[in-house]
Amino acid sequence: MSGLVLDGVSKSYGSVRAVVPTDLDFADGKLTALLGPSGCGKTTLLRMIAGLEDPSSGTLTLRGRDITDLPAHKRKFGMVFQSFALFPHLTVLGNVTYSLTISGVAKPEAESKARVLLDLVQLGAFADRRIGELSGGQRQRVAIARALAQEPEVFLLDEPMSALDAKLREDMQVELRLLQQRLGITTIVVTHDQREAMTMADRIVVMSAGRVEQVGTPQEIYHQPANAFVAGFIGKANFFDAVACSGGVRAGDVTFEAKARFHPGSRVQVAIRPERACLDHEATGNTISATVTFVRDLGPVREYHLDTPVGAMVVEYAMGEQAKTYNVGDSAQLRLPPEALLVFAVDQPHQTLMAAQ
Amino acid sequence: MTLAQDIDLPRSKSGSARAPLVSRGAMLRWGLALLTFVLCVVPFMLVFAISFGRKIEGAAWGWDFTFENYQRFFVGAMWPDDVTFLYLQQLGYSFWYAVIASCLAVLTALPFTLLLTRLSRRAQAMWLVFILSSLSLSEVFIVMGWDILLSNNSGLPALFKSTGLTQWLKDVGWFQTLRDWGLANPRNVKFKTSDFATILTMSYLVWPYAVILLYPPLSRLDPSLREAARTMGAGNWQVIRTVILPSVRLPLFGTTLLLFVFLLGTYVAVTVFADPSKHTTAVAIYSNVRGANLNAPFGATQAVILLISASVCLVLGHKLNQWAEKRA
Repeated sequence: MSGLVLDGVSKSYGSVRAVVPTDLDFADGKLTALLGPSGCGKTTLLRMIAGLEDPSSGTLTLRGRDITDLPAHKRKFGMVFQSFALFPHLTVLGNVTYSLTISGVAKPEAESKARVLLDLVQLGAFADRRIGELSGGQRQRVAIARALAQEPEVFLLDEPMSALDAKLREDMQVELRLLQQRLGITTIVVTHDQREAMTMADRIVVMSAGRVEQVGTPQEIYHQPANAFVAGFIGKANFFDAVACSGGVRAGDVTFEAKARFHPGSRVQVAIRPERACLDHEATGNTISATVTFVRDLGPVREYHLDTPVGAMVVEYAMGEQAKTYNVGDSAQLRLPPEALLVFAVDQPHQTLMAAQ
Repeated sequence: MTLAQDIDLPRSKSGSARAPLVSRGAMLRWGLALLTFVLCVVPFMLVFAISFGRKIEGAAWGWDFTFENYQRFFVGAMWPDDVTFLYLQQLGYSFWYAVIASCLAVLTALPFTLLLTRLSRRAQAMWLVFILSSLSLSEVFIVMGWDILLSNNSGLPALFKSTGLTQWLKDVGWFQTLRDWGLANPRNVKFKTSDFATILTMSYLVWPYAVILLYPPLSRLDPSLREAARTMGAGNWQVIRTVILPSVRLPLFGTTLLLFVFLLGTYVAVTVFADPSKHTTAVAIYSNVRGANLNAPFGATQAVILLISASVCLVLGHKLNQWAEKRA
């Protein structure tokens, strides 16, 4: 069921268009990640959903009710800010009870509810602490508990992990996802970290330059990127320019078999994930010769940086996946399986494809 | 050859490195301490010493060590035969005007400064330059302006009369209320002399200071705090009451206290706008030191008591703030 629906929502600041007219719907109880590079308009979109920014055009509806002109304090969507925005003059308990006390809930009842939420985020013992006495991770949990206290219909998080260190960030991603699944609350997370989006989201909305590039599940986004931007932004990919031909693409003198999507003669961009390309000893179909220029051993995976006739490429193997190892200077045959080649039009950098929902 | 050998240290005749007797830092510290002593401590000590002096009738005054001036301040010169609290009353008026005017200045400067912080950087800079430039106006000049504006013959009262506002106030029955408050005579409204005009002018005097003191903490206030409160259901007034005011409580309190201490010494506004029966200690000090009374020792006593009172207020304010912080 569609809970929150955006219909042609856009935002302009003078002549600058931050978000082009956008149609999106957020399913009830699911976690959606708005993913994109800095300045792509994802936070602006989230702020419009929260009621902190007025859309320049379009409408927002929540379960069929138009909320476009409803001010933020009447929407009461729980929101976690990038800086957490915890009130420094209040204790942890005071922060969590804030939304309840201002809406007239009796203090004992508010405190009892807040303590349940603090237990939920594993901060029950910290209720009387001042905000300044908490670590980054603890602050984030308080911010989450505070936003959930008002039992929001939609839970919004604006880059909630950006202030945390890498290890804590990974832990919190899992914790947040488990919490969201437990509560079954419609959640929208803004992030520029594709790993974070892949970890937490049921659905990812990839944005670039104020527009939606693709909407889909993490697997769809990764394996069937709608355009070169998505292929490059989500995960790693090797790119090379080519021309579409019958049954595949041609790059220089080499012809590769690939899924035919474009008229022969069209200029295309071809992408392949590093883990989908293979190094072989002998030339078979869709192979090109390659020379190893650099080897990067990352523990669980080993990366081979290659010089090929179509340009530099990277191939990635999980440890134990390949018996033969290569060294810098070795020659090999690089095989690009036809089903792994992603072919995109060169002239449509912002081609928008909506994945099946 | 080592690096140490390359370095050519200045050496004394005996061959060891020569250290200056007093370092430059120490000299600077001593110099500043001396300057502070000469400019701040010595004048205060002089005033303090003179406060124990004695007025010589027909002459100026002489050094002495008597508590008569202090006794006169608290219970009057005729004590124990007769008790008067005239000077304590003057001190009370000093406090009354300063408290009300400083609170009024801060209360009006707060919303203005809040709005100022939401303007563009360019607009903020222009407003701040304008407000800073208004500080160049002297108290005398400002009071003169308000004197003209509030004078009975050419200012607002004349405007009230000519526009028929006075008659309208009489018709609706509010004129009598203004008379009860001392803001009207039988014919027209009047602002001179009144507590209203005194406090208004004193607030105006310190209002730019209030804005300038409140601007840094308010501009540093994280806007996401306001937004967070809004997403949790707080309306504008609730955001101000529950988030902004508590977040800037300390700067607000500090600004009010600073303006209060500053206003304790207001002289020109009080002499022009306050009723003579409600003159303050600052006016009385001037009258004793340079004015008609020529009783420097008693003027010095009043100055010392005013200073001590202000210090007590600062300490009490600090304690109150500490108590509030612990309670919060």
